[in-house]
Amino acid sequence: MMSLPEGPNESKLQQISRIRIDDSSRVPVSLWFASSVFWLLMGSVAALISSVKMHNPDFLGNIEWLTFGRIRPVHLDIVFFGWSSMAAVGCLLWLQARLCHVRLPWPLLLSGLAMVWNVGVCVGVMAVLAGHGSSIEYLEFPAYCAPFFAIPALGVLAANVKMYVTKESQHTYVSQWYLLAATVWLPILYVTAMGCTYFGLVQGVSQAITNWWFGHNALGLWVTPIAVATAYYLIPKVTGKPVHSYHLSLLGFWSLAIFYNWAGTHHLTGGPLPAWTITVGVVGSMMMFIPVITVAINHHMTMRGVFHMLKTSPTLRFTVFGSVMYTVASFQGSLEALRSHQEITHFTQYTIGHAHLGLYGFFSMIMFGAMYYIFPRITNNEWSSARLIKVHFWGSSIGVLAYGIGLCWAGWWQGVMMNDPAIPFLDTVAYIRPYLIMRSVSGTGMTIAHIAFAISVWRILSRHHFVMSGPTLFTTTRPAWREFVNEQEKREQAELEAQS
Amino acid sequence: MNRTPFVIFGVFLTIAFSLSGLVLIPNWQFQEHQPVVTAPDGSQYPVPYFGMALQGRDVYVDQGCLYCHTQQVRAKGYGGDIRRNWGNRRTVARDYMYEYPILLGTMRTGPDLANIGARQPSRDWHYLHLYNPQITSAGSVMPRFQYLFRTIKAGELAPSGAIALPPAFLAEGTHIVPTARGEQLVEYLRAQNRTFPLPEAKQ
Amino acid sequence: MFLISMLIWATALLGAVMTVWALAWAVQRGEFRNLRQGAASIFDAGEPIGQQTDFFPGAKR
Repeated sequence: MMSLPEGPNESKLQQISRIRIDDSSRVPVSLWFASSVFWLLMGSVAALISSVKMHNPDFLGNIEWLTFGRIRPVHLDIVFFGWSSMAAVGCLLWLQARLCHVRLPWPLLLSGLAMVWNVGVCVGVMAVLAGHGSSIEYLEFPAYCAPFFAIPALGVLAANVKMYVTKESQHTYVSQWYLLAATVWLPILYVTAMGCTYFGLVQGVSQAITNWWFGHNALGLWVTPIAVATAYYLIPKVTGKPVHSYHLSLLGFWSLAIFYNWAGTHHLTGGPLPAWTITVGVVGSMMMFIPVITVAINHHMTMRGVFHMLKTSPTLRFTVFGSVMYTVASFQGSLEALRSHQEITHFTQYTIGHAHLGLYGFFSMIMFGAMYYIFPRITNNEWSSARLIKVHFWGSSIGVLAYGIGLCWAGWWQGVMMNDPAIPFLDTVAYIRPYLIMRSVSGTGMTIAHIAFAISVWRILSRHHFVMSGPTLFTTTRPAWREFVNEQEKREQAELEAQS
Repeated sequence: MNRTPFVIFGVFLTIAFSLSGLVLIPNWQFQEHQPVVTAPDGSQYPVPYFGMALQGRDVYVDQGCLYCHTQQVRAKGYGGDIRRNWGNRRTVARDYMYEYPILLGTMRTGPDLANIGARQPSRDWHYLHLYNPQITSAGSVMPRFQYLFRTIKAGELAPSGAIALPPAFLAEGTHIVPTARGEQLVEYLRAQNRTFPLPEAKQ
Repeated sequence: MFLISMLIWATALLGAVMTVWALAWAVQRGEFRNLRQGAASIFDAGEPIGQQTDFFPGAKR
């Protein structure tokens, strides 16, 4: 038997139990994650095609299924359903199992649900490319795609609740609230929005409100809580410092739950709706300052004194970047909801810049960080190359900053020009064109980063570069612990047999 | 101590609350909407799309026009919509009571289309614009929708329905005719007219 | 219109009352006790407070 690190017996047992919990999520979580990385690449391709088409409309010009009005929603849907949601589910299953101190239930079922979800994205993408999209933002996939997402969402909810009610941990950690809430919200949101939209339950402008009630909440109540939960776990866990204020984190959770719901109608400011619906949206958006500030304070104070770890931990780098961008993008979003601000930026590229600072700068970066932490632990393998990770980090972070800041700047002035009737409309188009080209360049940087990431993921899954004796904390301890885990499992098996 | 029911009930409550507030109440509020009847001939506004315009809406949806064009006019004094002559009044909920799906849009890479039928009533303009936006709007980044047209090899005489392309855009000895979908889309665009005076939209 | 605004206010009031009630109920049940321990609950003797748990591959500790 290999020699084990010295330590009290209790700590050995805790390590063993942690490894066994991580092991239990190996197949399903790897599957959800690997699928999400595949969709990340597909989403990047769709993004680049639509981005280039915006400044060079003749690029792939006369191909109907690749026309801008189809490839652009395909980009959004792949990124939302394929990349973001699948990454979020992987993260949530692993994290909830760990926090509940129970093994992941129903691994086969959860793996099957990942495949169902993948089929849904495939079918939906092909439908939109073939011209069967609905032109309802975030809900472009036709109604027959709904079961492919609704059923897995319910399955994930069931697994999540099962873990929570059978939990062996004594305390509820703040992340668990977010995770549980997100899985309750997603099926309600999706089923209600699809039902209202496709079965004519709402008429006229109420359709638009339903659309943005879903579109905004899908980001705010589904992917955001999961990313916040992940950051709440990973930042303390990687740095070894408990969360600064646990009270604040609870306040943050419930204020998010109450206020984010109402913010969606700011997407319709100035539209043909009763003024009170917009006012509600603006108030909801303003109140979002509360949860955002609590998270910002908490994460910053937790990081205080350990910023040097950003140099040595890839997970921390991505997660802290994402966490900072959460504050930035949320502040921007709250201000953006104000009528005076919307008068200028609504209908411009500013919104697109903001969306990417949020969904990419915040959410995706935290998911990248989480995958850098989780993959080695569920595959018992080490990342093959620090250089690839650095290419990924710098490509993504510089890319999204250039993208977001550039488009917000351009969008602001685009809006100012658009509100001045003395300026011909085509001048606004000519003005933003250089920024649209810059967007394609920064998008290329992000795509290169994604390719580097995909290579890393491919290698860790296919067990290339299996580093047994590296000097990192992970590689020195894990393989040694394996023997111990196997022994413990054998012992339990024997006990079971003896009983029966 | 088990918090599960507490958490689940709480999060369920938050979303049920916003659903009823944002979706169900406005929907109920609009159900009392009726078309405005103009005496004495009894013509009504709004009227549902019918015929080719109705079919054209599907073309508008499947081509994803919404991703660059809005169909809403903001009130006078809020943005430049009315001063840009995109409408003579703001659009209101009643304008959309028959819209299914509603295509308000959120992006103005191109101009607003709520009243494009009133601004550009001519079919010819729409055909030229869709065939190659550079003909009518030089510098536009709108894609060409040439797959909504057929090329016909013909003699001297143009077939009926051929669009009046400037010679520079037309290959020798050919004529360009819109397909059925092209015609439907243009009828839909020409039906975009929300200039009817409504009592609740004074400006 | 009057009916509608009354309905909106009534739902808002109902929501507010329910929120306060839920909060009071949660406090009474002791949901907000022992919060400090919650923050430390993700650490144990195997991965104790003060120990960094993630590094670049190949990096010297």
